[in-house]
Amino acid sequence: MIKENFLYKIRELPEFIRQIAGLTILIIFIISSFFVLDVIFGQGDELVKKMKIEEERIAQEKKLSELISKLPSGILVTFDGTNHYKLTDEVYEQVCKATKLIPQRAIMGANFLNFRAHEIYTINGNKIDDTFVKWDKDKKKCFAGFTVSGNNVGVDESVAVSGEALSFLSTGIDTRVYFIKNF
Amino acid sequence: MQFIKKYPKAFQWLFLLVIFFALCFAIEVPETYKFIRGQAEFVKDPNQSFYVFLGKEVRYYAFDVFWRLPPLLGWLPIWINDSLFFLMNEWLPMEFWNSDTQTYKTRPLVLQVTREITSIMTFLIELIREILLGGLKTIVAFTSWDWVGSNSWAKMPGLPWTVVAAGSAILAYKLSGKGLAIFAGLVMVYISIFGQWKPSMQTLSFILVAAPLSFVFGLGFGIAAYKSKRVEKALYPILLVMQTMPQYAVLVPALVLFGVGDHAAVIITMIVAVPPMILLTLLGLRAVPPEVIEAGRMSGCNNWQLMFKVLIPTARRDILIGVNQVIMVCFSMAVISAFIGAKGLGFNLLLALNQLNIGLALEAGLCISLIAILLDKMSLAWANKQVDYFGNLTFFERNKNAIFFGVTVLIGIVLAYLGSFFFKQGFNYLFEVPHNKGISTADFWNKGVDWIFDTFFVYIKAFNTWLIVEVLQPMRALYLRMPAVATLVLVVGAGYLIGGIRSALVVCGLTLFIALSPWWDRALVTTYMATFGVIVSCIIGFTVGTLSFQNKHSANFMLGVCDIFQTFPSFVYLIPVMMLFGITDTSVLIAVIVYATIPATRYTIEGLRSVPTALHDAATMSGVNKFQRLTKIEFPLAFPHMMLGLNQTIVFALFMVIIGAFIGTEDLGQYILKALSDKNGAGIGLTLGICVAFIGLIFDNLIRTWVGQRKKHLGID
Repeated sequence: MIKENFLYKIRELPEFIRQIAGLTILIIFIISSFFVLDVIFGQGDELVKKMKIEEERIAQEKKLSELISKLPSGILVTFDGTNHYKLTDEVYEQVCKATKLIPQRAIMGANFLNFRAHEIYTINGNKIDDTFVKWDKDKKKCFAGFTVSGNNVGVDESVAVSGEALSFLSTGIDTRVYFIKNF
Repeated sequence: MQFIKKYPKAFQWLFLLVIFFALCFAIEVPETYKFIRGQAEFVKDPNQSFYVFLGKEVRYYAFDVFWRLPPLLGWLPIWINDSLFFLMNEWLPMEFWNSDTQTYKTRPLVLQVTREITSIMTFLIELIREILLGGLKTIVAFTSWDWVGSNSWAKMPGLPWTVVAAGSAILAYKLSGKGLAIFAGLVMVYISIFGQWKPSMQTLSFILVAAPLSFVFGLGFGIAAYKSKRVEKALYPILLVMQTMPQYAVLVPALVLFGVGDHAAVIITMIVAVPPMILLTLLGLRAVPPEVIEAGRMSGCNNWQLMFKVLIPTARRDILIGVNQVIMVCFSMAVISAFIGAKGLGFNLLLALNQLNIGLALEAGLCISLIAILLDKMSLAWANKQVDYFGNLTFFERNKNAIFFGVTVLIGIVLAYLGSFFFKQGFNYLFEVPHNKGISTADFWNKGVDWIFDTFFVYIKAFNTWLIVEVLQPMRALYLRMPAVATLVLVVGAGYLIGGIRSALVVCGLTLFIALSPWWDRALVTTYMATFGVIVSCIIGFTVGTLSFQNKHSANFMLGVCDIFQTFPSFVYLIPVMMLFGITDTSVLIAVIVYATIPATRYTIEGLRSVPTALHDAATMSGVNKFQRLTKIEFPLAFPHMMLGLNQTIVFALFMVIIGAFIGTEDLGQYILKALSDKNGAGIGLTLGICVAFIGLIFDNLIRTWVGQRKKHLGID
């Protein structure tokens, strides 16, 4: 009875009031649905923090690639006494941080002085497991290295080769390690 | 309070807008939000969030949910792709006889069915193409290459262009008289001497297969929907979506199912052309007066006879207008289907646009437009032609056109034969003017484009820069600044205020689909471009329409212009704007404006014309002047009809914005275009197409509901 009375009262309300009430309810419903979704899918500050780190990384990379595009194409060295382009200490650090690639030439050069690495590398079809180029803050030097692994006469072996990256090759688009001094 | 009582609707809208803007200002742009990179782009990035649904992993950049909803429908395109792959490669493998290798081969059913359809379509296209241009493949289909090799006479000779030209003129004369006959003859001669004969006949052969098949299927489905409510209900949502679905979007799934080539183009054209045919058949059959049906029944007709001897002949005009629509859709598809390898004028046009050879593109575009206008006029003449059942004519009078055609065929063949002696060293121009051997104006147009650029570069560039920097970019930014929750509140609130809770729920569903897809940002850009085009088109269309309406002749002239412009395939609009504005957003928007102005103008004139003359007289007797009559009587009464024009304008604008992706916009169309060259593009293309269709349907729903209510209110329903 009370319910019927209530419904009757609603029906008796002017059209305008009913419409505005309906609209308000609809808006509240939509906004509350978004609140529910936010509870389920929202990631809050954690996400912002994560994205900010990513933004910084992208900005840093952009800066480095800008620097690389300004370097002359060819061989870049860290020492005196050659005809190649000599890097300043500051640029040397930046180039090191921007460099990702170690081409086959540098790997084969380093393998000359590491017989086992050379053997595994040759037997397994010049396969390289992983490479790294990193800046050593304490020594203020750039180090590069790689790991070769594979089966050598029935035995699974893995050899890590690393050394100081003494020169780089600038292609105009990126830089690559040109020579690893592993002796 | 007085204001609320006096203008309750205005207050409700004001309330909705206040809430919308409050939400826009309350929700800030996330610091990490970057447009486009914003939502899932199917690249793996450690910062992406992901979820797994139905075994499909969806990766996306998560934001505050109030700002952008997570793409909870991101699995849909992946699921569509996987389903298509499963259907085509794994589902229901069966043994099928392979006549080439004379062995049984196991193939999935769907793959076999699509291949069978493909071979039937290819055969039909080749048959018509070889009747028009000559060739071997039709005979090979019935014999073998070896047999054809050993019998050098066994080939389809093809019809000389003179015969086709004369045949078209005679047909046009039969349908409409001298005027159309001369136009038909001139169009065919133009096509031939400009060296576009072969591509034109290739296009025509594909249309001559697609149009009759679309007619048959459209008529069949239309009759089925008329007879059964269930069929109608099942077809209704498909027809609705297909009306606003960009034709581009359907290309990608067809590519997966039927491969590349003319056959796939025919199938895709049928998919696009059948819905208007169904709608017009249904409209025609529904309009048959009940007295006619009663008379048929009383004459003892069974159901079959009632349908084919009474209903269809009575609804003949609407059905033939449907044929006209089918032909027009086929022409607009002639260019779009060139993306999936359809040969002919469309392919040449696309190639020329790709090479930025505006002159060549203009030649091909002009040919398509001329053929489209010709077939449009011919099919309309057919629809309006009265059948003389009581004519007491002699044999010659009854068959004079057939006799003339027979004589023309003979003369044409003799001329072509003589031509083979006359043009011994080169090409037989009386048989066919080869492509690139005819007259070409391409150089002239290309030089014209260069001249325009050299002379007006500064002004064009200044206009471009002003439009992009001062108008488009701020507008784009405003659209992208809308948080998802605010947009949803605005759209659903508008639905509620216009059509009540039912309308609100419909638009809510459609908007949510887009918001939960991975392309919400792109959809906003699409909407912004379409909105800009619609606003400008409506201003131009309503003004031109109103001014033309003031004089009977100018109104008729303007409707004629609209007719002609409407027959141009949409791609053709890109040519002149590219000539003037190069490859910029401005080009797309101007093409959108030109294309979308047509319905705005047409519906304005027709709306103003629909105002009863009795009201004009009443107004004149009441002493109102012309301006008062226009503003106080004609506009209010014609407004619902004009709003239907706005509806069409929105659909046209959306279509052109999507096609504009070819020039290089950053909206949904761009992704549809990308999907064409992606092996997993079917799902993406289809989902994007549905998104565009839903944008159109949201406006369609709101406008139609409003128009319905307004008409009821004005008592003109």
